[in-house]
Amino acid sequence: MFDVCSYLWLIPALPLLGCIATAALGPRWLRGQSHWPCILGAVGACVLSVLTLIAVPQGAVNADGAPVPYLCSYYEWFRAGDVDVSFALRADGLTAVMLVTVTFIGSLIVIYSVGYMHGDPGYPRYFAVVSLFLFSMTGLVLANNFIVLYAFWEGVGLCSYLLIGYWFSRPSAAAAARKAFLVTRLGDIGLFLGILVLWTETNSLDFDVVLGQAHTLSAEILTIACLLLFAGAVGKSAQFPLHVWLPDAMEGPSPVSALIHAATMVTAGVYLVARCMPLFGQAPDAQLVVAVIGGFTALLAALIALTQTDLKRVLAYSTISQLGYMFLALGSGVEHHRLAALAATAAIFHLVTHAFFKALLFLGAGSVMHAMGDVIDMRRFGGLRKLLPVTHWTFLCGAAALAGFPVIFSGFWSKDEILAVTWEASRGGPHAVIYFVLLVTALGTAGLTAFYTFRAYFMTFWGEQRLPEEAGHHPHDAAPVMGVPLMILAAGAVLAGIVLGPTGLFGGFLEHYWSRSELPTRLQAAEAGGHALNVPLMLISAAVALGGIGLAYVLYVRTPALVGTAARMLGGLYGWSRNKFYLDELFEALFVRPFAGLARLCKTLDQYLVDGLVDLIGQVPAFVGYVMRPFQNGLVQFYALLMALGVAGFLLATMLR
Amino acid sequence: MNASALVIGLVALPFAAAIVVALLGAARAGLVRWVSLGAALGGLALAAVVTLQFTAIRGAQPPQKEAAATFAPELVPGADPKAPARTTWNIIEFGNRGAIQFYLGIDGMNIWLIVLTALLMVSAVLVSWNAIQERVNEYYAWLLALGAALSGVFLAFDIILFYVFFELTLVPLFFLIGIWGGPERRHAARKFFIFTFAGSVITLLGLLALVVVCHQKSPDRTLTFSIPELVRQVNHHLLLSAGADRAFWDATQFWVFFALFTGFAVKVPLFPVHTWLPLAHVEAPTAGSVLLAGVLLKLGSYGFLRLVLPLTPDACITYGVDVVGTLAVIGILYGALCALAQDDVKKLVAYSSISHLGFCMLGMFALNAPGLTGSLLQMINHGLSTGALFLIVGMLYERYHTRHMTDYGGIGAKLRILTLCMVVTCLSSAGLPGLNGFVGEALVLFGAFLKRPELAFIASAGILLGAWYLLSMLRQMFFGTLQEPAHEGHEVRDLDAREVCALAPLLVLFVILGVYPKPVIDTARPDLEIVAKILRNRPGMTGAPTVAQQGE
Repeated sequence: MFDVCSYLWLIPALPLLGCIATAALGPRWLRGQSHWPCILGAVGACVLSVLTLIAVPQGAVNADGAPVPYLCSYYEWFRAGDVDVSFALRADGLTAVMLVTVTFIGSLIVIYSVGYMHGDPGYPRYFAVVSLFLFSMTGLVLANNFIVLYAFWEGVGLCSYLLIGYWFSRPSAAAAARKAFLVTRLGDIGLFLGILVLWTETNSLDFDVVLGQAHTLSAEILTIACLLLFAGAVGKSAQFPLHVWLPDAMEGPSPVSALIHAATMVTAGVYLVARCMPLFGQAPDAQLVVAVIGGFTALLAALIALTQTDLKRVLAYSTISQLGYMFLALGSGVEHHRLAALAATAAIFHLVTHAFFKALLFLGAGSVMHAMGDVIDMRRFGGLRKLLPVTHWTFLCGAAALAGFPVIFSGFWSKDEILAVTWEASRGGPHAVIYFVLLVTALGTAGLTAFYTFRAYFMTFWGEQRLPEEAGHHPHDAAPVMGVPLMILAAGAVLAGIVLGPTGLFGGFLEHYWSRSELPTRLQAAEAGGHALNVPLMLISAAVALGGIGLAYVLYVRTPALVGTAARMLGGLYGWSRNKFYLDELFEALFVRPFAGLARLCKTLDQYLVDGLVDLIGQVPAFVGYVMRPFQNGLVQFYALLMALGVAGFLLATMLR
Repeated sequence: MNASALVIGLVALPFAAAIVVALLGAARAGLVRWVSLGAALGGLALAAVVTLQFTAIRGAQPPQKEAAATFAPELVPGADPKAPARTTWNIIEFGNRGAIQFYLGIDGMNIWLIVLTALLMVSAVLVSWNAIQERVNEYYAWLLALGAALSGVFLAFDIILFYVFFELTLVPLFFLIGIWGGPERRHAARKFFIFTFAGSVITLLGLLALVVVCHQKSPDRTLTFSIPELVRQVNHHLLLSAGADRAFWDATQFWVFFALFTGFAVKVPLFPVHTWLPLAHVEAPTAGSVLLAGVLLKLGSYGFLRLVLPLTPDACITYGVDVVGTLAVIGILYGALCALAQDDVKKLVAYSSISHLGFCMLGMFALNAPGLTGSLLQMINHGLSTGALFLIVGMLYERYHTRHMTDYGGIGAKLRILTLCMVVTCLSSAGLPGLNGFVGEALVLFGAFLKRPELAFIASAGILLGAWYLLSMLRQMFFGTLQEPAHEGHEVRDLDAREVCALAPLLVLFVILGVYPKPVIDTARPDLEIVAKILRNRPGMTGAPTVAQQGE
């Protein structure tokens, strides 16, 4: 085969070329065909990613029998003193898995977009930015040092900004775009400071060097650095309290919600923590924070999702919730290095399956929206299962996967691994009790997830057929260009779990890379025995999922009248959930308003106090002149008198000395 | 032709063009514009040739890392054949003891600022094309004279020559603001002039004091005004001094530091002596704002880099880090917050300058290689980004005659090219990786973190605030529902070819410098290393040692 480094750079470069070609040729020449450079770039990157995935296990092996990642340094970006940043890429198991997920789902979504965005006046701009996004996202997972990662990290943020604000003439879209960029950037400050701390301690920015020296750092420094890095992940992956941007991000076109705000970009935080597992694994305090934030976010977002009526917002909150699960898994990687490896693997596994089913759900929602004339409020339509058969069946696959419908569907398997890891963490160690509480929370959240997912499904596709007037007379199901990607994703959502999970394919592939010698040496040695299926836990989670689905069926299909009663019974909680626990308002009151007030204060101070002082000093010469003016009265006698007085005073002073 | 003649050309060409343009008379406005454009393009071509020459020389003969104890400019006009870094062109001789010299030269610290000046001159001429209709010849004469004086400051290696050019920049800008400015132009021009002049008079005092001290301390009573020679002598004395001599030098450095600080801090501008800047920017014509923000402010930071750090290293270590570092961080946050509260878009950009220059000074007074490099990059990047911001704001003003952001809404739907340029420029200014702003800002934070982690921690909030006010401005003016300010009858068009020509080079440089800043960093490295080494050799220097140090 080819040398990996000879084509690795092409994985981000092809979408970049696609972006440049679309931007240069699109508006003038390609117009309605502007999707071609983007599709070619995405599919090309996907093929190369698969090649990488195949090549990685065949790579060299070090003395411990662990595989060595491919490291490719292409050019020096900047260097000053001992800040040395090269444009360097790496390919290892984690990167390869992420690459394939991103480019495969990306390709499908780009193809879907051809149908979805057809006829939009900004058609070329859409595909140019989506290409730019694929460039940034593949670069992010390929980066071999923290600064290159940060650069692409900001790059995906930019694409998110541009795509949320794609319909920039809508005030709500413009506001959502700005909010997304600023809230995530708040987290990015933490990420950058974390990089600075690690750099000062290890004198390097390369992953291998920094992560390899993790055991030499003091516990406090390690905890601080991990928490700072995690702040970046919290922003990007929309965890509490920085999750407020993601629901608003649904202002963008639906395929964008599928690609960026569900399947790929928002998982960058999970990737970052997984990549830095050697650091986090040795900082149990930081791990506890990760797990608690993850578990709490999962629960909170699920509670909010229960009562939302906007289909895309339900899915957005479920994304936040599922990302919370991933962080819960990552945070459970404590105690011994085998568990750290398992935890990271579970999180990445859920990331992959989630990417499939959530992309599918969002594209399905987009298809509904397309047919309903851009109406997405579930109260305004219903009973669409006859009208939109393809959308209905594929959406059902996605919903079952998200709800963790037992045995077949992928979400079941990956969620189970997370629960298993949390169970392991709750069996020992100083924070065992907290991990047990988190495990119970996670199980409860699984039930909520099943309920709100199927609530959305039943509200949209069951009941009597209702259409909004925007839909026109003949709403049509997804055309093949949209339908085929839906079906492929549906196949993935159903099968990915059972094929990769219990067979150990996925785990075997990834754990290999975690169990490298550099992984947590401070932790206890690996416990004997492999990863066995935790059957009782599986049974509980299956029961919970089925219970949630059943409840949704009862409430929304069998006896819809009960919904109002239930809402009244829950009273306050229902209102809080409807209003997203007032977190937007809280964020506004605690953060935005004080800063805006401070800004106004500074402006006033500057105008009156600082500048006033300067003007006051400017008045000094004039004032001196004013005081002295009476003495310059032009009367010679007066001058003579002053002179005489002066001489007398001088003589007096001399004599008295 | 001797390449060093080109260096004179960098100053002489715009000066000559200014005189020609002034003599052409106001009636021949068209000719005046074309001659000015020719002169600006000629200046850019000269700068390009000089850059190529310089990089060729440096490439062939890299400066000796160990030998370099002071600046060694290349391409010196009238160079001494035995010592090519010195000149023989004396202006005023003091017997055979020494002389004030016409000493120009190029090194890694000024070359890119020269290019920046030449480039922004072209944009400044182009953007004034239709905006200026009165006394056109005078306007372009002052504009070209300003360009010449600015180049002169960067090129000067004689302390008196430096000061003369430094003050000379005030005169053209005074007239540009005072005659062609907005409604409050007289007040703004006077405030700008008196404020900066008051500061720099004290700077002159400090410079002269240093010359006199060196004169008295030198064994053969030589009198030198050459910056490289002064740097060499001062550091020679500092290394040898002890006891009473030591105390004398400490006191000298203290007073010289604060004298220079006074003038340069106003120019930078550092908090709290910045208030002349928003006023001057708001009232200045577009080209004036572009050169003021793009180049003139750099005279302050360049002064710190070229004179303050190497001539008073101990004072910089003892007082500079605390005083300047703290003021810089305050400036970063305060400037950004003030920008956030503005309704006048030109004021917003003016306050953003204060914030960005705060980063520049924070990096410089980290006193280490990453900080110094970041600081120099930040000077160039700020010149490009803020120059472009003022250009675009000027273009908008020309169309709608209002600077109030609330008068605008959803302009993006109407002026697509302009909006695209604005978005890219804002992202560059907000320090998005891949565009120019990021590398400088990142290096500044790296450098500052090594020296004073707490300052870097606070300053990093600037990353967020910078994006906040820029994106808010974008949302208010360019996104949302279309709401055009009232404008008389005429149809508002998108950018024309002339305006694109004024902007496009800057946008292209955003990308190039963002992706491949290596040429700039590499040419500047040896000269910044001289400064860094001077500072490293001082006993008071603390902070984590760099790898470069450990290697030595």
